[in-house]
Amino acid sequence: MTASILAAGVLEDTIRAFFQGLPIGAGFALVAMSFVLTYKTSGVFNLAFGAQAFISAATYFELHVRRDWPIWSAVLMAVVLVAPLLGLLLERLIFRHVHASSAVAKLVISLGLLVALPELFKLIVDYNREQPFGAVGIIPDGTTVYRLFGRYPVTRDEIAAFVIVVAAALALAALFRYTRLGLRIRAVVQSPRMTELNGVNADWVSSGSWMLSSFFAGLAGVLLVPTTSSLGTVLEPTGFFPIVISALAAAALGRLVSLPAALFGGLLLGVVTTQMRTHVPRDNVILAELQGPALPYVMLFAIIVFWPAIRRQVAGADPLLGVSPPPPALAATSRGRGMTIYTRIMALAFFTAVGVWTFAYANNFWISRITHSVIFSIIFLSIVVFTGLGGQIALCQVTFAAIGAFGAMQFAQRWDISVIVGMVAGAAIAAAVGAVLSIPVMRLGGIWLAIATLAFALFFHDVLVKYSWVGGSLFHGRGVPRPEFLGVDFSSRENFLILCIAILVLVGVLVILIRESSTGMALRALRGSETAAESIGVISWRSRVIVFSVSAAIAAIGGGLLAMEERLVGYEANFDPQTGLFWLVIVVVLGARTVEGGIQAGVAFVIFPELVLDRWLGLHGAWRYVLFGFAAISFARHPEGLLEHGKRRSQVMMQRMFSRRQPAVAAAAAGSGVDAGLDTGAAPGDEP
Amino acid sequence: MSLLVANGITKRFAGITAVENANIALDAGERVGLIGPNGAGKTTLFNCLLGLLRPDAGSVSFDGQDITRLPVYRRARLGIGRTFQRVELFSGSSVRDHLLFAHRIRSGTGALWKDVLGLGLPMPAEIERCDALLESLGLGGMGDEPIEALSLGQSRLVEVARALMTQPRVVLLDEPSSGLDRDETNALADTLARIQAEQGFGLLLVEHDVELVASFTERTYVLDFGKLITHGSTPDVMRDPEVRAAYLGDFVAGTQ
Repeated sequence: MTASILAAGVLEDTIRAFFQGLPIGAGFALVAMSFVLTYKTSGVFNLAFGAQAFISAATYFELHVRRDWPIWSAVLMAVVLVAPLLGLLLERLIFRHVHASSAVAKLVISLGLLVALPELFKLIVDYNREQPFGAVGIIPDGTTVYRLFGRYPVTRDEIAAFVIVVAAALALAALFRYTRLGLRIRAVVQSPRMTELNGVNADWVSSGSWMLSSFFAGLAGVLLVPTTSSLGTVLEPTGFFPIVISALAAAALGRLVSLPAALFGGLLLGVVTTQMRTHVPRDNVILAELQGPALPYVMLFAIIVFWPAIRRQVAGADPLLGVSPPPPALAATSRGRGMTIYTRIMALAFFTAVGVWTFAYANNFWISRITHSVIFSIIFLSIVVFTGLGGQIALCQVTFAAIGAFGAMQFAQRWDISVIVGMVAGAAIAAAVGAVLSIPVMRLGGIWLAIATLAFALFFHDVLVKYSWVGGSLFHGRGVPRPEFLGVDFSSRENFLILCIAILVLVGVLVILIRESSTGMALRALRGSETAAESIGVISWRSRVIVFSVSAAIAAIGGGLLAMEERLVGYEANFDPQTGLFWLVIVVVLGARTVEGGIQAGVAFVIFPELVLDRWLGLHGAWRYVLFGFAAISFARHPEGLLEHGKRRSQVMMQRMFSRRQPAVAAAAAGSGVDAGLDTGAAPGDEP
Repeated sequence: MSLLVANGITKRFAGITAVENANIALDAGERVGLIGPNGAGKTTLFNCLLGLLRPDAGSVSFDGQDITRLPVYRRARLGIGRTFQRVELFSGSSVRDHLLFAHRIRSGTGALWKDVLGLGLPMPAEIERCDALLESLGLGGMGDEPIEALSLGQSRLVEVARALMTQPRVVLLDEPSSGLDRDETNALADTLARIQAEQGFGLLLVEHDVELVASFTERTYVLDFGKLITHGSTPDVMRDPEVRAAYLGDFVAGTQ
């Protein structure tokens, strides 16, 4: 008797959780289908989708809540006008020109937009003039509760979300299956050039599909406000992140190409979420986490790693890709001896001047800024190792840096061990974590590796950092000392700067040595062709583990130094995963292939907003996100980085000037293979 | 006992038997052909030898050691080199880099600590070796060229050079003539024959260019519908009526 009552109770809970899960899942599904739509129509894994959803939601908020527009007109503006227009602009100005680029290049662009678009929107409408508090949904009286079958409560918002999503899914399916446009869209995804050879205007098809997917993004944005917990709270772009992650997991179930899989995957994950909350006991710490913030990340990571379809998926290549010119060699490898000496003298002169100014004239503020640039240069060298050398993208360098910072802090505070030892121990821990992380993601390539590492970074951010053995106590990370070692006290600003410079030089030399030696050769071979690399005996898993751990250790050293410089672990300010996205963007935009590029990115990250934006142009610091975010567009055209591109151009110019003076020498040089390679290298990138 | 032996290899894909009970043996210093019409299972058998595919039945041994379950890179380190039908080069690297990578991976320990201490940088002697091999393949002076600047014929030679830098005991060539015209094919064959005579490695040539196989190899295996229909000395095989019926057809009749 008791057993049957219990069973009936469990059954009722399960059914209630099922009905609660469907609308949440519908939200996931809508976002997931938009991912699939964008991917199918343009081959872009559009992470900027979260930003597009935010812009529509925020436009609606601005118009309806702040300016008292009626609901229908605000929705019309935000979803029917602004969203497709944004999609059209993105396609026309950006994605049309990068269609032949690799999936990874497109991912970098979308990361740049994810950072840039919300910031640009906020600057334009002055969104943060007061706290954007009190977000509302688009359904009038959306919180009205109905009872399904007389007992299971659902709100009007939830019913509306579910119905709209299912209708949208059916409409999309019909479009792809039964219309000429659907067929053309599918062809354009495969190869726009090939499709044009068959007499289809690929640009037009592409524009249409981007407007459609952006409309979906906008719709999801306004619909999701009430289904997330952000209803009635502050409407910020970060609010969309967990839902975007869950949607990614749903889209991943269908390998990003199946709309039905995205729909059912979304609904399934919604139901799984509510069932977990209902049935899984909370007395165990890990199980309790799984009901809360950890769930989306764990789901995403697990699906990417274990879903067989993803492991088998190979990046489809455009059959006409060979038409594009090959990537040019590094400028440093193709320049003449005279040019190399000249460049080095100039660099030496520049650094001497900066050094003299810093130590003789600079005030505390500027010494601190310069120390920051040096430290960020070190951190960014970890991206040079992973992306420049390894040829892949990881979005968790920020996590490794945080591990280094917390390591330095924990060792110094708990055990009173030298902070330098703590930093090294933190680096060792980060290297171990990197090595362990590299194992499940071993066979993943391109975008999947990036997404899996992003899931790890978010998991660390939302779950692990709250544990005291990771992030310290409530006021975590206060009071990190500066080191004293080898009998030198590095607590003064100047001495600490010298220590940071020494470590930067050490790490820089280390990266160059790795690049030029056996490990670097194996990595370059793997990057060129994994099949061919294995055929000459390269052990790919070993190289992967090395890349993960070396870059993790470098990031952790930088993180540790940053904590010492600021005398605290400013986790929220420095090591937020979104900040990590911006790190990646700024490094690959400026040049991830060289140590120089990493250092320039470090300087640009710190000095640029301070000096150029604030002091010279009088602009808000947020403009740096906008500028570098949009600069990510250049990555597709100049994967070697903007600075490398600039160097190559100036080199060509200088050689031309040089050749006018000494025609005989120049003619001889032009005949050699080196110069020929240089000329063809610079030419393809010149025209936008 | 032959150097490379495939014993009773069978491989099925979703109900289709691509290769059935195939036996192949290759000795050091030998030049052997493997021919068959398109879809005969040549590439499947080839991939089973290299470790890219795992056979459903049968075994592969190298120098008396069972290598059926070894991954590709372990086989490469034992001394099995290869080239690719669709050229697989390391984009973004120079011609010399290709040889240098291969040499380094074969000879170096690849230990990270050595690299960090600066002991892993390329030595002048290594670079000389690479350039010497390039010279003998007719690619002298092209060491600094970016790999993308080469013609298809030159690219195939770089693949051969890369395989040779691993000091292989057998080299497996996957349709080296595809995409090349007759003159280029002949030039490639001449170079290969000369280098093979100098270095004495075994050569397995998978081809559908029968003329190349006829002029280049000493022994030939013929594969049709996944089964070896015959093997023997190349001139005998070319005269075999079953082979002519299955594959060679008018070509052999025309040359007689």
